[in-house]
Amino acid sequence: MTFAEITLFLANGFALSLIIFAVTLICGAPLGLPIAFCSMSRFAPLKYIAKTFVWIIRGIPLMLQIFIIYYVPGLLFGRPIFSEIDRYILKYYEIPNDGSILQLLMTNMGGLIAVLIAFTINYACYFSEIYRGGIESISKGQYEAGYVLGMSKSQVFRKIVLKQVIKRIVPPMSNEIITLIKDTALANCIMIPEIIKQAKELAATKALIWPLFYTGVFYLLFVGLLTILLGQLEKKLSYFKD
Amino acid sequence: MSVLEVKNIYKSFGKTEVLKGIDFSLEKGQVLSIIGSSGSGKTTLLRCLNSLEFADKGTITVNDTVIFDGDRKTKRSDAELRERRLHFGLVFQSFNLFPQYTVLQNITLAPNLLKKDTPENNKAKALKLLEEVGLSEKANNYPCELSGGQQQRVAIARALAMDPEILCFDEPTSALDPELTGEVLKVIRSLADGHMTMIVVTHEMSFAKDVSDTVIFMDDGVIAEQGTPDEVFGNPKTDRLKAFLASYNK
Ligand SMILES: Nc1ncnc2c1ncn2[C@@H]1O[C@H](COP(=O)(O)OP(=O)(O)OP(=O)(O)O)[C@@H](O)[C@H]1O
Ligand SMILES: [Mg+2]
Repeated sequence: MTFAEITLFLANGFALSLIIFAVTLICGAPLGLPIAFCSMSRFAPLKYIAKTFVWIIRGIPLMLQIFIIYYVPGLLFGRPIFSEIDRYILKYYEIPNDGSILQLLMTNMGGLIAVLIAFTINYACYFSEIYRGGIESISKGQYEAGYVLGMSKSQVFRKIVLKQVIKRIVPPMSNEIITLIKDTALANCIMIPEIIKQAKELAATKALIWPLFYTGVFYLLFVGLLTILLGQLEKKLSYFKD
Repeated sequence: MSVLEVKNIYKSFGKTEVLKGIDFSLEKGQVLSIIGSSGSGKTTLLRCLNSLEFADKGTITVNDTVIFDGDRKTKRSDAELRERRLHFGLVFQSFNLFPQYTVLQNITLAPNLLKKDTPENNKAKALKLLEEVGLSEKANNYPCELSGGQQQRVAIARALAMDPEILCFDEPTSALDPELTGEVLKVIRSLADGHMTMIVVTHEMSFAKDVSDTVIFMDDGVIAEQGTPDEVFGNPKTDRLKAFLASYNK
């Protein structure tokens, strides 16, 4: 295999890593919001359910959560739905055999869905704690200043509190987002061909070890890009101080 | 006719009784100053007036309409609360400007959200208020670019933009460096000259003496003394007030 071929082989795996990254972010970030509100609820049962849930999800390794989501439907209900999805696709769809991202996706759809569920829930819980911290850090005076001017609760939240919260959560969110791209490597615990799994494949079939280290370059470049983008966002919000 | 009538207000936080029967009334266009030592319940009283806190007992009447009655324990709707709050304005000790908005936007935010007038008119009015507090040239600055005294003047303009019937101040100069208190007091004084009805909680005794029509001395949750500035400052009757005033004349 030439260097270019190996790069392409790994790039296909990284595309899968990026899919996990993007879906987790797009689904997990909004999902964190209701979890944050529940964990701040004045209705005690709701609050404790939310807090216990967050405690469990943050307390168990993400890898274990992937295993649980992937295997539990089969073990408990006798319906291994994720491998059923794979079998279904294999049976009814034509899968290209060119090592492309499409092939990787179609042959691993079931496992990928399990991974996406686990990642989304896990990251939603982490995000919810960041949101909660951000919301709780806004002083009571900001709310009260809005209320005495006759603003409603939702106006105060949307027009006064929200932007200040966003400003405060950008740095911790940036951290979490950068961690996320590296966490996608965990998907290889159920054989999802993300980039590291692809590199291991090369080690096993072609006796090539160096591609494994080469994967680091992909992560580094992407994290560099993220750092720049998130830094710009932070700068955009630096026009005010609180 | 009184604009404001406060009767028999009681308020506790858990076991701490903070207000123990407050009665007073305020005429339109008059300035009422509230003095008293720390913890006597001055802030709590203002917060009850502004519906940020709810008294356990007593009534608050504005222009002959009872806006609060401690005996009627019905659930208060958000809409009702908002309407009630619009009778009053409140200027906080710590300004509480909205940091992400410019000075002008701070003032127009609530009028625009509540559709007080057209956006153009709200803006024109905000600019006029800024002129009154002497900050026209800061309209497009952010709060973090202003001094404390300037921030507090913006906060006053912001409160005035909603046309409150009664404007309350909670120690408006206590968070300021001494050299900045003057500019804020000057604005309040000019409002008094314009016959704005005001309640001012303050530790600035000479200011209270100058500007008020009535002074209330609060002590441990009750009004210990009440009268004209001359009576309260010139001829204190209770030992507590004498001791309190003496602590300012050291
Ligand atoms: N939300 C609250 N919960 C419990 N106690 C409170 C609360 N707010 C005020 N208090 C108590 O009520 C008492 C009166 O407080 P308040 O702030 O009204 O005093 P103040 O006269 O404004 O004092 P200062 O001059 O220091 O501002 C204090 O003992 C205070 O600890
Ligand atoms: Mg106070």
